[in-house]
Amino acid sequence: MAAIHHPGHEHEHHGPPSGIMRWLTTTNHKDIGTLYLWFSFIMFLTGGVMALTIRSELFQPGLQIVEPEFFNQLTTLHGLIMVFGGIMPAFVGFANWQIPMMIGAPDMAFARMNNWSFWLLPPAALLLITSFLVPGGAAAAGWTLYPPLSTQMGMGMDMTIFAVHILGASSIMGSINIVTTILNMRAPGMTMMKMPLFVWTWLITAYLLLAVMPVLAGAVTMLLTDRQFGTNFFNAAGGGDPVMFQHIFWFFGHPEVYIMILPAFGIVSQVIPTFARKPLFGYSSMVYATASIAILSFIVWAHHMFTVGMPVTAQLFFMYATMLIAVPTAVKVFNWTATMWRGSMTFEAPMLFAIGFIFLFTIGGFSGIVLAVVPVDIVLQDTYYVVAHFHYVLVSGSLFAIFAGTYYWLPKWTGNMYDETLAKTHFWLSMIFFNVTFFVQHFLGLAGMPRRVPDYALQFADFNMISSIGAFGFGFSQLLFLYVILKCIRGGAKATDQVWDSADTLEWTLPSPPPYHSFETPPQVSFDEYHVKNVQNVHSK
Amino acid sequence: MKEKAEKPVKATPIQIATAVFWAFFGVRKKSDHAADVESLTLGQVVIGGVIGAALFVGSLLLLVNFMTS
Repeated sequence: MAAIHHPGHEHEHHGPPSGIMRWLTTTNHKDIGTLYLWFSFIMFLTGGVMALTIRSELFQPGLQIVEPEFFNQLTTLHGLIMVFGGIMPAFVGFANWQIPMMIGAPDMAFARMNNWSFWLLPPAALLLITSFLVPGGAAAAGWTLYPPLSTQMGMGMDMTIFAVHILGASSIMGSINIVTTILNMRAPGMTMMKMPLFVWTWLITAYLLLAVMPVLAGAVTMLLTDRQFGTNFFNAAGGGDPVMFQHIFWFFGHPEVYIMILPAFGIVSQVIPTFARKPLFGYSSMVYATASIAILSFIVWAHHMFTVGMPVTAQLFFMYATMLIAVPTAVKVFNWTATMWRGSMTFEAPMLFAIGFIFLFTIGGFSGIVLAVVPVDIVLQDTYYVVAHFHYVLVSGSLFAIFAGTYYWLPKWTGNMYDETLAKTHFWLSMIFFNVTFFVQHFLGLAGMPRRVPDYALQFADFNMISSIGAFGFGFSQLLFLYVILKCIRGGAKATDQVWDSADTLEWTLPSPPPYHSFETPPQVSFDEYHVKNVQNVHSK
Repeated sequence: MKEKAEKPVKATPIQIATAVFWAFFGVRKKSDHAADVESLTLGQVVIGGVIGAALFVGSLLLLVNFMTS
C-alpha cells in the first residue's frame, strides 16, 4: 500500500482485504469507481449483443432470426440496460474515481453507503437479464414502459419494475454522496468557482437525479399497483389515464437525458483544454450554461408526447421551451471551439474522442431541434429519425465522452500508458462505423420507417443493410477497446505523475497510480488568474 | 458557499435579476461574475432563480396565448 507514512499514525496494518472480499466490502472510492466502470462495461457488452441481434433481424426485410415478441423484448431491454446499466453507472464510476481526487478529498463523504450504492446494481442487472427466462419473457413495452402494454405483460414486467426501483435507490444514494462530498470536502482554497468543470457538471447532475429518480419510482410503483393490487391509475376502463403515465415518465425522462449528457460535458471540458494547451474558454459561462440546461430540462418533457394530443398552446409552449435549450448548449459548443482556437493542439485518443464528441453531438443536437418543431415531430414521431437522433446524443455524445475520459485518466488509474496506436484505431473504427450505423437511420426515418418493428417494407432494405453492417463493425470495434484497457492494466510504458503536460487539476499531482488512500491531509490549493493550480501537496509522493 | 460568507455586500434585486438573466442565457462576463461572487448569497441566487424560472414560464405562456388568440 502506498499510503503516506505519518508519524504516530500507522497505516501498514489496514490495507485492503484480498480476493473477492476486497471488492465486496470495499469502501474505497477508487475500488468502487473501478467496480462501477467494469459493471457498466459488462452491461454495455450485454446491451450491445441485444443491439446486434436487433440489427441482425433488420439486416433484411422479413422475419429471419427472432420471433417478433422476442424482438420487442430485445428493444426494451437494450434501452433499459444501456441507460441504467451502461451510461449512468459509467459516469458514477468516473465520479467515484475522480471527484475526491479533483477536489482534494480523501474519499467520498459516505463511504459505506457508496459500497451499498454499487452492490445494489448487480441484483438489478440480474433481474433484468433473467426476466428473459420467465414465462412471457422480458418486458416488451419499450424502455418507456407505457401502459396499457406495461399493465398487461407477464412477470418479466414486475421484475423490470423491481429492477428500476433498485437502480433508482442506488442512483439516489450515489447522488447524496456526490453532493455531500462536493459541498463539504473540498480542499482549502478549492472554492466553488475554482472547481474543475467535471465536478461542477456532476454536482448539477446529482441534483437532477435527486429530483427525478423519485418521480420514476412513483410512476413504476403506480404501474405495479395497477398490475397487482387492483388500482386504476393508468387504466382508462377504471377511470384512470394512460396519458398521465407518459407525463410522469417524461417528467423524469427528459431530465434523465441531461443526467446522461452533463457529466459528458464535464469530461470533454477537462480533455479539450489539456490537449489544446489553453485554459477552458469561458469557465463561468460553462457553469452558468450547465445550470441553465438543468433548469430548462424540467419544463420541456411533453415534447416527447406531441402526438398524444394536447392543446395547441401546450404544444407551442413545449416547442419554444425545447428550442431555447439550444442556446446554453450552443454556448458550450462555442466555448469548446474557442478553447481549441489557436491552441497548441495534439491529437491523442482522448482529444480525438472529445473532438468527435463535439462534432457528432452537435449533429444530434440539431436533429433534436428539428424534432422540437411540432408539425415536423408529428410526422417523425416513432420513426428511425428519432432513433438516429438519440443515438447521436447518447452514443457519439455520452459514450464517446466516456471513451475520452477513460483514455484520459487510464494512465493515472493504472500507472501505465495505454497503446496510443490501438486507441487511435479504436477511435477511427468507432467514428466510421458509428456513422455508417446511425447516419443512414435519418434517411430511414424521413422515409417513414417506424421504430421498434422486426420487419419492414422493401423500400427500406438498402439503408437497413448498411446500418446493420455498421452496427457489427461498431460492436466488434469495442472489443479492441477492451483489449487496450486490459493491455494497459497488465503493463506498458510507465506513466508519469503528470501524464499530460498541461493537465492542471489536482489528480495529476498524485503519483500514477495514486495511493490507495490519497489526500488524507488536504492539499493547499491556490490559483493564479488563469486558473492554473499551485499545489503544496505535502504527502503525495 | 464559503467565499460568499465572508463579507456579504448587500446585492440589490436588480443585481440578482441581472445575474439570473445571464445565467439563463448561459453567458457571464468575467468582471460581472466576480462582482456576483462578491455580493450575491446562495439564498438570493436560489430565490432569484425560482422567480426567474416562474417568469420565464409565464412569459412563454403569454407568448403562446398571444400566438393562438
